[in-house]
Amino acid sequence: MPPLSDKIVIAGIGETPVGKLRGMSAVEIQALAVHEAIADAGLSLREVDGLLNLDPYATPNSMFATTLAEYLGLQPRFVSTVDVGGTVTGMTMLQQACWGIEAGHCEVAVCVYGENALSSRAEGVQGLHMHNLMGGEEWEEPFGVQGMVIPYALLAQRYFDLYGAGPEDLAAVAMTTRAHALLNDNAQMKKPLTREDYFSAREIASPLRLFDCSLVSDGGGALIVMRRDRASKLGLRSVSIRSMAMKATHNSVALLPDIPDLGMQAAGEDAFASAQLTPAEIDVALLHDAFTISVLVTIEALGFAKPGQGGAFFRSGGASLGGRLPVNPHGGLLSQAHIGGMLHITEAVRQLRGGAGRRQVSKARRAVVSGNGGVFSVCGVMILEADQDA
Amino acid sequence: MPDEWYKAMLPKPTRASAPFWEACDREELLLPSCRPCGRVFYYPRIACPLCGSRDLGWRKTSGRGRVFSHSRVHVSFYGDSWKSQLPYTVILVDLDEGPRMLSRLVGTDAGGVASGDRVEVAFTEIEGRKLPFFKRIIPIQEDMQ
Repeated sequence: MPPLSDKIVIAGIGETPVGKLRGMSAVEIQALAVHEAIADAGLSLREVDGLLNLDPYATPNSMFATTLAEYLGLQPRFVSTVDVGGTVTGMTMLQQACWGIEAGHCEVAVCVYGENALSSRAEGVQGLHMHNLMGGEEWEEPFGVQGMVIPYALLAQRYFDLYGAGPEDLAAVAMTTRAHALLNDNAQMKKPLTREDYFSAREIASPLRLFDCSLVSDGGGALIVMRRDRASKLGLRSVSIRSMAMKATHNSVALLPDIPDLGMQAAGEDAFASAQLTPAEIDVALLHDAFTISVLVTIEALGFAKPGQGGAFFRSGGASLGGRLPVNPHGGLLSQAHIGGMLHITEAVRQLRGGAGRRQVSKARRAVVSGNGGVFSVCGVMILEADQDA
Repeated sequence: MPDEWYKAMLPKPTRASAPFWEACDREELLLPSCRPCGRVFYYPRIACPLCGSRDLGWRKTSGRGRVFSHSRVHVSFYGDSWKSQLPYTVILVDLDEGPRMLSRLVGTDAGGVASGDRVEVAFTEIEGRKLPFFKRIIPIQEDMQ
């Protein structure tokens, strides 16, 4: 995996309120996230000449980067709507922004995603209601498989069978992540989650229960990318992208590989090799958590726990604030909000800038961010590093 | 359960997949096979995903396999009209011929399924189309056949 240019940095982050943003459309939410990021970096909107976004899943469009540019009053030299899948797209937008700047297509790029998936959902609908096709319909729908819960349930059952793991392992992820969300004022979930709460909640698709599933959310997040010398001239506390790697192995759950063959391990190995770092040098992890099982599979694939031992790592406090590797200190998709992984990246930047307040991981210098789309169908891993004080 | 009880979103066959679904209507489970590399795969495509050849045929399978994973579904993802189907069981099955496929497990004992269980295809007619669902087989049954 070729390294990304070390001359380009993340220079600003924006995050909208999450939960229900009644009366706001997807373009308005993305525009708000962009304005928050511009304000964070102390820029004026006019300086933005690159715009990358992800199209909303619940209210899909064509040409959405151009729609957003018009809404913002921008006339960028570089626009692109990127859809790699799920929580990979945020890091792919960053990667493409780096390439765009390095190649001279733009100087200040904004990467943004946001939508109103919660408030636009019809009454009585379960889970995220996506209006676009995913590609596997012919081999899924005749068998009663729709959406992502059943695919991840099949993955979780396989994880149980392969490693002798069980529901206590999933519960540990749900409870740890909730405890973190309580330290984040901008989180949808406000109450603690006890073991009893976890087990008394209804089963959705065995072995997954209600609190194994991430939230459906309104909200947005944005990132500003520019050259290091420019950020430094502006006195910005920037974050370096040490590496980003992807691996796509399949799409539909009908072709789900066994857990050791999922793409997360290959993407992780590439990302660490490209950054010339090891898992031991990582201080905080922002891991894809569309479902609790995703976190266990990921933390093991990235080498932070042995296969089947992810649950034990969580139960021992290793993934909690103050532990060996705090995981999702912002509360993740499970307990903060599901904004397509954008808030995993904004949180990583916040932690590395030392501005995470009550949930700050002490001396956080390097972060790993993981994402995946589908059911580990396409996996992405990114390593970020704090820059020295400007 | 009588077939009329089951609900399904019917497939929309393509040129490449139509022979698979037409064979299901005749109660045959076929897999696409690649003439040059000799392998079978799932699902049907215009070219072999293993070697890239477009020289393809069809191979009849035993219709049997082993459960790779399973989930008992308690929530309708298709609105209120699907509540009658709950709970139902979805499986990933490793066919004896090699490929893995996604299906639905039917039969009164579907809820007690475990990974590794033997299953066989149980074609189920829904709105004029026969879908390749599966049912459990107990080992002694299979030995006797």
